Amino acid sequence: MRTNLAIGLIATVQFLAAGSVSAHHAFAAEFDATQPVKLEGTIAKMEWISPHSWLHLDVQKPDGTVERWMIEGGPPNALFRRGFTQESLPVGIEIIVEGFRARDGSLRANGRDITFSDGSRPFVGSFGTGTP
Amino acid sequence: MKRRRVFVVGILVGAILVGAVVSIVTTPELPETSTNVEAWMQPHTAWGDPDFQGVWRYEATIPLERPREYEGRAFLTDEEVEDIARVEQELSANRLAGFEGAAVGRRTLSESPIRGNEYNSFWQYHGRARQAYRQTSLITDPPNGRLPYTEDARQAAARSTARYGVGPYESYLDPDTGERCLTDGVTATMWQGPNGGHNRIVQSPGYVTIVHEEYQDRRIIPVDGGSHRGIPQWLGDSVGHWEGDTLVVETTNFSNKMHYEWANIWTRVSDTLRLVERFQRVGPDTMEYTITVDDPKTFTTPWTAVVPILRLPDNTQIYEYACHEGNYALSNILSAGRAIAADE
Amino acid sequence: MQQGPQRSSVTVVTAVAAVIVVYGSPLWGQAVDYVAPRTVAGWPDLNGVWQALNTANYDIQAHPARPALALVPAPPSTTAPPGTDWAIPGELPAPAVRALGAVGGVPAGEGVVVGNEIPYQPWAALIKQENAENWLERDPEIKCYLPGVPRATYMPYPFQILQGVDKILIAYEFAGATRTIHMDDVGNSPGPTWMGWSRGRWEGETLVVDVTGFNGQTWFDRAGNFHSDALHVTERYTPISPNHLIYEATIEDPNVFTESWTIEMPLYRRLETDKRLLEYECVEFVEQLMYGELGVFDPADGQRGE
Repeated sequence: MRTNLAIGLIATVQFLAAGSVSAHHAFAAEFDATQPVKLEGTIAKMEWISPHSWLHLDVQKPDGTVERWMIEGGPPNALFRRGFTQESLPVGIEIIVEGFRARDGSLRANGRDITFSDGSRPFVGSFGTGTP
Repeated sequence: MKRRRVFVVGILVGAILVGAVVSIVTTPELPETSTNVEAWMQPHTAWGDPDFQGVWRYEATIPLERPREYEGRAFLTDEEVEDIARVEQELSANRLAGFEGAAVGRRTLSESPIRGNEYNSFWQYHGRARQAYRQTSLITDPPNGRLPYTEDARQAAARSTARYGVGPYESYLDPDTGERCLTDGVTATMWQGPNGGHNRIVQSPGYVTIVHEEYQDRRIIPVDGGSHRGIPQWLGDSVGHWEGDTLVVETTNFSNKMHYEWANIWTRVSDTLRLVERFQRVGPDTMEYTITVDDPKTFTTPWTAVVPILRLPDNTQIYEYACHEGNYALSNILSAGRAIAADE
Repeated sequence: MQQGPQRSSVTVVTAVAAVIVVYGSPLWGQAVDYVAPRTVAGWPDLNGVWQALNTANYDIQAHPARPALALVPAPPSTTAPPGTDWAIPGELPAPAVRALGAVGGVPAGEGVVVGNEIPYQPWAALIKQENAENWLERDPEIKCYLPGVPRATYMPYPFQILQGVDKILIAYEFAGATRTIHMDDVGNSPGPTWMGWSRGRWEGETLVVDVTGFNGQTWFDRAGNFHSDALHVTERYTPISPNHLIYEATIEDPNVFTESWTIEMPLYRRLETDKRLLEYECVEFVEQLMYGELGVFDPADGQRGE
């Protein structure tokens, strides 16, 4: 019974996955899935633009120098719809970014996951009285 | 003959659709659907045209093509629909909590395959679960629910899939038209978009205007007569007319852009592409959108899809999508291509 | 033009009008008492395809004709003996645009700025000068970037006003830009934009549009006139005849200017039967310019080898 249910769920999930939009290729062309990165830093600025938003992150290295990373996020419009705005992630906040490094070796990464140091995530749920 | 079959299929699907609307699994955030669907009457604009105004979005779970496991079946059983609805509710809860991973039971980033999960779901999630419908595919004709590709197009689609992440990415011609911030074409604009696919419809006397959020695709459709212009365009040249409360739009005069990469071969634009669309509201918050795609350069026969589209709350906005202006990704892809070539 | 006995009075009127245009107050709006036809919903009907007919996109201030948009100083003479008086060129078209000849020249214009002065803060006046001198590298129009407001209004392409319920669209042919004028109550823009966040209302016959939420990256023209993301534009569209609107835009930006200033121009209805906007999807046109040399191979050099 349980096995059948599991198989049924897998089939359902594949059905659902089949419906999704064929993704644009940008990620794999830009970033290297074999080079994961985990960066801790403070936000210098955030560009709320399309097709990808960009977070500029100041990362302090062990020797004390600071590197400026550019982190590629998703498009911001879904966040706008859930009530977040450009004021929602102000300059100076400390975040942890997990993602993959740019293929050309520059200080760029995709911002696959973003968390605060306590493990909570910014931008989840809805904010304020934004549209549903 | 073909036209009558499409018509009959359309009626059948329309009837199922109305039934499906009533049995939609709703969440608190969905707009309220009328409990008495039969009593809803098509509203009209101040000058008497059927009124379609508002922001519309496709939020269902129906795939474009019928998956292999449902071969020969146009509709799911009630149990299967309930399964899908239940899975979708859990996925929605996962997304709302910011968990990565599109599959039920997977709650951590490390358990999620990269492809399809390149960015945490909070970037994409709109706050509502998708709705389950009984259709096994958006495509209703041909009856097998699959795209009738020509052999050329089938190979092009296979090549496009094989190129994913592999490349080459050696010039601005290698990314697809969407990554170049040109357009994804007209065919799927009413139900797809890399950012969730929102469409605002605005009407004024003589015109129905559709503003698609992505790429700023904009279609100003004359609906009071008028002829095609004969000037080729990316989005073609649309002329609409009313059949009762249904808007019928015929679009021809597409430019030939087959020499470019397309994310989805079935949306690519050629000079022989012709679209016929039918917009029909079937309830206070639902529209049945039917599109017939005819292009002998890509398909062996015309094909038709029937798509249920949802009307979003009145305070929903379309935001600017200045794709080209913000397209760091394109130059990054090219510098990655140079780095890879230098390594070789 | 009239000849004979009336000629002198025409001359006088023209001279007076010229004085008013260059130095003075809005002329048309006060003189005309036109009531536009109404839409079915009861508002002034501005639906239609419109276009500006001036050289404001070259330079919103009064300017003479000149050879090109990008000029270089004449090189100093190294061969003239001291004390000689040989002829020298003035400014020359920059090499990058020289082949365009008269197609690339800048036509004269009387300007659209009321009072013809743009009240830049001193540091900003220097930036404007730098922008003009580096036009080829800096003008966002060259890269097919969205033109912003008010520049979109007087680009040399038509635009269409489509009045819906609660939303008025202004659809521009250039780059397919579209603005939504919110006539209902909406909040502020959640993020900075190229085309601004527009909220509109009616004042009698005039559509007044309040535009904020800019990202500061657009220009006002090809002469390097610019602003910051604090820009606030107040537009006024007033019908003065069945086929003419008067367009005014008041510019406020405390980061860049010492006070507000206004531009003003007529807009003309495109009278062709069933006039439609066509595509000017220029992103495709500028890819070779922007990306041609960035890849492993350049499409302009021929097909990639195997």
